[in-house]
Amino acid sequence: MNGFLVENGGMQCSIQDAGRRGLSDIGLTQSGAMDEMAFGYANFLVGNAFNTPAIEIAMGGASFKARSEMCISICGANMQPTCNGHKIALWQTYQLRRGDVIAFGFATQGQFAYIAVAGGFQTPFSYGSYSTSIKEGLGGVEGRKLKVGDFLETLDARCPVDRRKLERKFIPKYPDSITVRLVKGYQEAMFDASSQETFFNSVYTFRGEGDRMGYRLSGERVVPSHTGILSEPICYGAVQVPSHGEPIVLLKERQTIGGYPKIGSVIAVDCFKLAQLKVGGTVKFKEVSLKEAQRATRAFYTFFKEQEA
Amino acid sequence: MKRRYSIASESSVIVYFGTTIDPVISQEVQKAYHALKAKAQEGFYEIIPSYASLMVSYDVMRFDFDEVCEIIEKSIHDAEALTLSESKIITIPVYYGREVGLDLELLAQEKNLSVEEIIALHVKGLYTVYAIGFAPGFAYLGEIDERLATSRLASPRKAVPKGSVAIADRQSAVYPSQSPGGWKVLGRTPTAMFDATYEGLSLLHVGDHVRYEPISKEEFLKLGGQL
Repeated sequence: MNGFLVENGGMQCSIQDAGRRGLSDIGLTQSGAMDEMAFGYANFLVGNAFNTPAIEIAMGGASFKARSEMCISICGANMQPTCNGHKIALWQTYQLRRGDVIAFGFATQGQFAYIAVAGGFQTPFSYGSYSTSIKEGLGGVEGRKLKVGDFLETLDARCPVDRRKLERKFIPKYPDSITVRLVKGYQEAMFDASSQETFFNSVYTFRGEGDRMGYRLSGERVVPSHTGILSEPICYGAVQVPSHGEPIVLLKERQTIGGYPKIGSVIAVDCFKLAQLKVGGTVKFKEVSLKEAQRATRAFYTFFKEQEA
Repeated sequence: MKRRYSIASESSVIVYFGTTIDPVISQEVQKAYHALKAKAQEGFYEIIPSYASLMVSYDVMRFDFDEVCEIIEKSIHDAEALTLSESKIITIPVYYGREVGLDLELLAQEKNLSVEEIIALHVKGLYTVYAIGFAPGFAYLGEIDERLATSRLASPRKAVPKGSVAIADRQSAVYPSQSPGGWKVLGRTPTAMFDATYEGLSLLHVGDHVRYEPISKEEFLKLGGQL
């Protein structure tokens, strides 16, 4: 059978697509690629539709063996990937031969890398998505991270001839200090003028407190006027502030409802950037209007839609 | 209170129907939720109800904020004439043995009641599903007798067993799978709360009514319960 054999599962590898939809009302989290930009480019390069399942590698340390010919691309964090011991570049396609071993070190920049394969990994589709939700133990390969011995079936597809490499201007950088755009909303009124000033003027540090669910940021405390609210639905990017006063940005495997005050939400495209922030990296929040936020999100998805056409 | 529409994110709207746990407000949320679900508006990715609010996540390629608010408002308006169909009453069998009711003794001490009295108070209520969240199929049921109202455990358990029937504040819930949690555990059910073979996947949905039925250890085991 054609496929990709997991030789080393690394820290945390999982199958992800753009995420699960329409089941949050019964408590299923969205899940999906933490950085849809790198995920999207990986699929684009091998000629796949945007929402095709890929391997998400968190931090690094994984290796895989091709059991058949296949076309892959690696995008996202640079984990110094090698093919049979020779260094290979990101953001381009490779035609692998049977027996080739792709191995990853650890990320020097960014947190997540994606391996896409032409035709997509042929993993189970469950609850409307290919995405693994590790906390819930569902989706992907048996609802868990990949481990040694897992076999991921692939199709016999060649590399597309027209898009071997991503143009340099499109390749994202993963700097150690970023600014993320935020739309105010939810309980913004529970944050008075001085706490909002603090929030938007402070530099927050990501100390590694977080996972696919969300990132807690350390820095100047922002104290809402209420410590709790009646539990309500939580969207992607929502910034909640519990009584400890440090903001938590909720990401792909967030809880569906919760009872902490929220100042607003980081826009989707900047959540992708935030996901790639390394431990020790810093974040500033910048307020943008709803119109501006929607323009940025539309531009992102329009780009990938056009590539599919 | 009039409905209040607020931005949640660049692609989500949240509608507030009130600010308290209240059966009347909850019914308004349920009506809006069912109306929007039935409409099956393409590009509405998520429609999530909670106690007194409802959130819609939408496709920004297709809609802007005002359009979404209008669609929601119109759906609610159209649904006003409808009466909610009779709520389903779902009976959940519970074994209240000491070996599975991990916090029965603790609660009895705290409340100055006997374990039997605690169980009787928990069983006598007819509860409403106000929200689902935290985990797949985890339903927040309200409201338990105020004599049982209790705080969460000071230090949450790392692993609450699957099927644990628990309380916190004036709410009750069943843990659909083993997970960390700080609610006080009174018993265990052999019934699955979340199952791929269920229509709608979750045993309970917002608006359903629930009754707990005490069963013996033998019945619990016969129904597939795990100790």
